[in-house]
Amino acid sequence: MNAKSQKPLILIIDDEEALRDGCRQALEKSGYTVLTAGEGVEGIKIAREQIPDMAFVDLKMPNISGMEIIDILSRDIPDMVLIMITGYASIVSAVEAMQKGAYDYLPKPFTPDQLRALTRRGLDHRNLRIETRRLREEKERMEKSFITFVSHEMRSPLVVIRQYIESLKAIAGDRFDKDVTEIIERCSKRIQGLEEMIEHWLDLSRIEDGTLAQKKDPLNLSSIIARSTEEMAPVCRKKGISLETNIPENLPEISGDEESLVRVFTNIIGNATKYTPAGGKITVSAQHDEYYVTASISDTGTGIPQDKLPFIFEPFFRVKGKDEKHRGSGLGLTFCKKIVESHNGVIEVSSREGEGTIFLLKFPAQIPAAKRATGAVS
Amino acid sequence: MTTKKKILLIDDDKDFLFATKLILEKGGYEVFMAEDGKAGVEMWKSVSPDLAIIDMMMETWGEGFSVLNKIRATDTGKNTPLFMLSAVDLQGPYQSFEPPAEFPKVNKVLQKPVKAEDLLSYIAQELGG
Repeated sequence: MNAKSQKPLILIIDDEEALRDGCRQALEKSGYTVLTAGEGVEGIKIAREQIPDMAFVDLKMPNISGMEIIDILSRDIPDMVLIMITGYASIVSAVEAMQKGAYDYLPKPFTPDQLRALTRRGLDHRNLRIETRRLREEKERMEKSFITFVSHEMRSPLVVIRQYIESLKAIAGDRFDKDVTEIIERCSKRIQGLEEMIEHWLDLSRIEDGTLAQKKDPLNLSSIIARSTEEMAPVCRKKGISLETNIPENLPEISGDEESLVRVFTNIIGNATKYTPAGGKITVSAQHDEYYVTASISDTGTGIPQDKLPFIFEPFFRVKGKDEKHRGSGLGLTFCKKIVESHNGVIEVSSREGEGTIFLLKFPAQIPAAKRATGAVS
Repeated sequence: MTTKKKILLIDDDKDFLFATKLILEKGGYEVFMAEDGKAGVEMWKSVSPDLAIIDMMMETWGEGFSVLNKIRATDTGKNTPLFMLSAVDLQGPYQSFEPPAEFPKVNKVLQKPVKAEDLLSYIAQELGG
């Protein structure tokens, strides 16, 4: 890559010597450094060694055509601005060149001024593109470290506050009357909620930067469901809700990250317990066809209004009008959706008010190695 | 009256130290505090506590482990119960702390914040009430 102080480096690939020289003189006068090549192989070699800022490539040449050169160079050196020189100003070839990565085309014959104007424009375009990318990378880097920084800095004071509440209860709890104890409990709960929100927010950013749910192990959904229902059974028992599973034997395996999938299921089951009254039922079942394994989690709860359904996977969206004690971080279902999608799966919800809600989680089934080897799946 | 058992707390957060000290004193222990690893190791040597509670993440992430190593390397530190504290979600699978095989013994890993009754009961288990 050229240092900024250096003159821009322009490569001309053309089999006509007169044209090469003409371009060289016109551009050198304007302060550019010019390299030339009489045919494609040499041109590509020079481009790879010198990494010019910009290249003009003649369409019609012996051996490799200009189109192929552009195709190769646009992939090799994405920052280089490529211009197609064409003898017949055919729109078709110009469009093709630009699809292959050329920035513009220059019809023959052209004047030195036209050449210089296009060069200037091309170099401006290049600088903008590089600057844009730099800014985007900078933004991503800042977002990432911002999230980590803020989360850590936010968590420690919350942890300390809860520790103080613990010590307050320890040293004076027996002197508090009922109201004071309740206020303290409520404070503690709200702070805990804030901590969870930060934790979930961190999880979401971990999914985005790929440090969460990155395993691609062969998994059986039935064991994930078994773990999740086992984990959620005490909550259901406490609330007087029955939790049933209906899993066929020999479910095909899926591929993914067991821990994060268990969290998806416990999250959705946990949600169901919040909106299902005592005496209700939550059913987790699974089925499969040749290509997909689908799990469903259905409850007999209060249901979600139709107009709210499209938004429930949005961050911080809450179905209003529910009891305040149901407040979660507002990120649980967003987490579920991202995790399922990172498994190339789909999550869907349907609901009827007063009847209940059904979540469907559909994952691509892993094709058994034996079957894949024999090519039995077409 | 029997002498109080001594507990050393090492954590770089003053408020966390103070809050935990109150709980431990309520539990009938004499509490010593250090705000960084170096002071913690020195205090360990001068006080010879019956138990120490060390934060995993102080100035740097590994600081707590290096303190643990240094304490275990002292004569009095070989068999004394040592607890580690972490604000990292140890229940979650993603940052689970898995000590290497040759890692010095940690008697208990506690997650911040620690419930007063849990803290006191873990300590009682180690120190025999």
